[in-house]
Amino acid sequence: MRKPLQTLWLTVIVVLLYVPILSVILASLANTRYMRFPHRNWSIGAYTDAFSQHETLVLHLASLKVAALVTVFALVLATLGAMAFARYDWRGRSIYQKAIVLPIFFPQPVLGLALLLFFSALGITPSWKTAVFAHLVWILPIVTLVISIRLFGYDPAQEDAARDLGATRWQVLKEVTLPHLAPGLISGGLFAFLLSWSNLPLSIFTTGADTTLPEWLFSRVATNYAPVVSAIAVIGTLASVAFGVVVLAALWIQRRASRQSSSASASISTS
Amino acid sequence: MIAADPQMTGTPADTQPALSLQGLSRRFGDTHALREVSLDIAEGEFFTIVGPSGSGKTTLLRILAGLDQPTTGTLLLRGKDVTGQPPNKRPTAMVFQSLALFDHRSVGQNVEFALKMRGIDAATRKARALELLDLVRLGPDYYGKAVTQCSGGERQRVALARALASDPEILFFDEPLSALDYRLRKTLEVELRSLQRRTGRTFVYITHSLEEAMVMSDRIGIMKDGQLVQVGTPSDIYDRPRDRFVARFMGEVNILQIRDEHLPELNSPLPGFADGHLILRPEALHTDGQGIGIKVTVQERFQLGSRVQLHLDTPAGLMIAEQPASCALQPGDEAQFHFDPAQAHRVTE
Repeated sequence: MRKPLQTLWLTVIVVLLYVPILSVILASLANTRYMRFPHRNWSIGAYTDAFSQHETLVLHLASLKVAALVTVFALVLATLGAMAFARYDWRGRSIYQKAIVLPIFFPQPVLGLALLLFFSALGITPSWKTAVFAHLVWILPIVTLVISIRLFGYDPAQEDAARDLGATRWQVLKEVTLPHLAPGLISGGLFAFLLSWSNLPLSIFTTGADTTLPEWLFSRVATNYAPVVSAIAVIGTLASVAFGVVVLAALWIQRRASRQSSSASASISTS
Repeated sequence: MIAADPQMTGTPADTQPALSLQGLSRRFGDTHALREVSLDIAEGEFFTIVGPSGSGKTTLLRILAGLDQPTTGTLLLRGKDVTGQPPNKRPTAMVFQSLALFDHRSVGQNVEFALKMRGIDAATRKARALELLDLVRLGPDYYGKAVTQCSGGERQRVALARALASDPEILFFDEPLSALDYRLRKTLEVELRSLQRRTGRTFVYITHSLEEAMVMSDRIGIMKDGQLVQVGTPSDIYDRPRDRFVARFMGEVNILQIRDEHLPELNSPLPGFADGHLILRPEALHTDGQGIGIKVTVQERFQLGSRVQLHLDTPAGLMIAEQPASCALQPGDEAQFHFDPAQAHRVTE
């Protein structure tokens, strides 16, 4: 009795999640400015347009540049911050821990405007670099939380033990701390990249003359829609999916390689 | 004649202590965790530091292992000053209270860790790891197991094998058995002692359980408030505790104040006992015989296998006596107990 209902429920959820994405793909295959379905003429003209336009590359590169830098800064700063929260007891720790999460609750458009005012007060011209800073304000707390969870469930005596067994500080990091933090770093990094890659409200206010992919999509959907907009959206989605797949594949290969090398060494010594 | 030999005034290699602690102190802010601890631990000795929690024993062990540095004082390892040297440069290894096994690695990888850090090749590492697992009575099939799959006792053995892998001159133990159940703890105490005999290594062990210390140690140091209050063999400490703190730490004892107004017999001048306290073991109280007599009322009776323990209400307060199981006294009974002051140990503090 339960099984069919469960299946139905799961199907409904999956359909609700993916129909919008599917409809964008369908819209990109039309050759009219007005979304109408079913299409009278199916066409991949939008894609050939998208790939022939230099703008497609520029938009993707701008978003990639911002997202990649946000990921690097977020991972380094969040790891240090998570260490400070998990390892050390200092005055004001719990207050600081709450204060750092506050920007998440702030409506993003307001936060974006506030940051723009802040930059202009400092006399900084907004560009994609200020957008990196703006994204970090919002993304860093999230990544810090993700990595903290990993650090709290970890016995720091393992690092003492490694030192005691002859490891240098660098070897402790490489052999003990990083392998333990890896799952947190990977999910934190993925979060940082994807949240920055798809961010609109902060980018609108803080990129200045530069344009990221979501900004361009938003302005073209609002004012000057053509199937090429949907096509570029699909390309952008595929690019971020590809990023995720590459990360996961790299992890899988690495895990398999380390398993093989340990079993290889085992077979050498038993022979 | 020996004293006149100029060579004997130096320290010959075979009598040089494995570890020499010279006035080690450690302050954390205003807290004095260690105060001027001085001690020599001999080569091949099983030395146990016992103390209640907060007595500074873990701080002391961390300093000995190099995981913490003393605020003042010097630490010599086989005559060489190692104060300030990081733990990875010291020929010592530690078994941690939490064991601190690398939980993302297999049993074999844990045991091999010290060898890997020394750049030893995989085949040699594995051969050595299997030897060590055998030494701690774990079969070769444990080599590939995840440490998370091991039971408490097995994890204990893995931690021990891992510490032995680097062939350390001295092994440190930070209450590694405290989390185990009673029977397993007893088994591992005996195994640890026999392992120490077989390997001839110096073991420095800390625990809050004097019982554990008595079973395993050549010598015991009792710690209180960051100081070593008494150092001696188990029987030294059992028979001649230095003060009431050590005596109470030894287990159930009766402590009688000399010149107690409720115990007039103790006021009469006992030879050599002017004041202070008498430490009296429960087995030194008898229902018959000579010596000082005390009127008691039996409060409780507990069966301890072949003996019974009686809680006695006396004019000098609650006392504990141990009697053969044939003793007929029951709660509520009144009786006269005796003890021989020669069997009591006097302390001034």
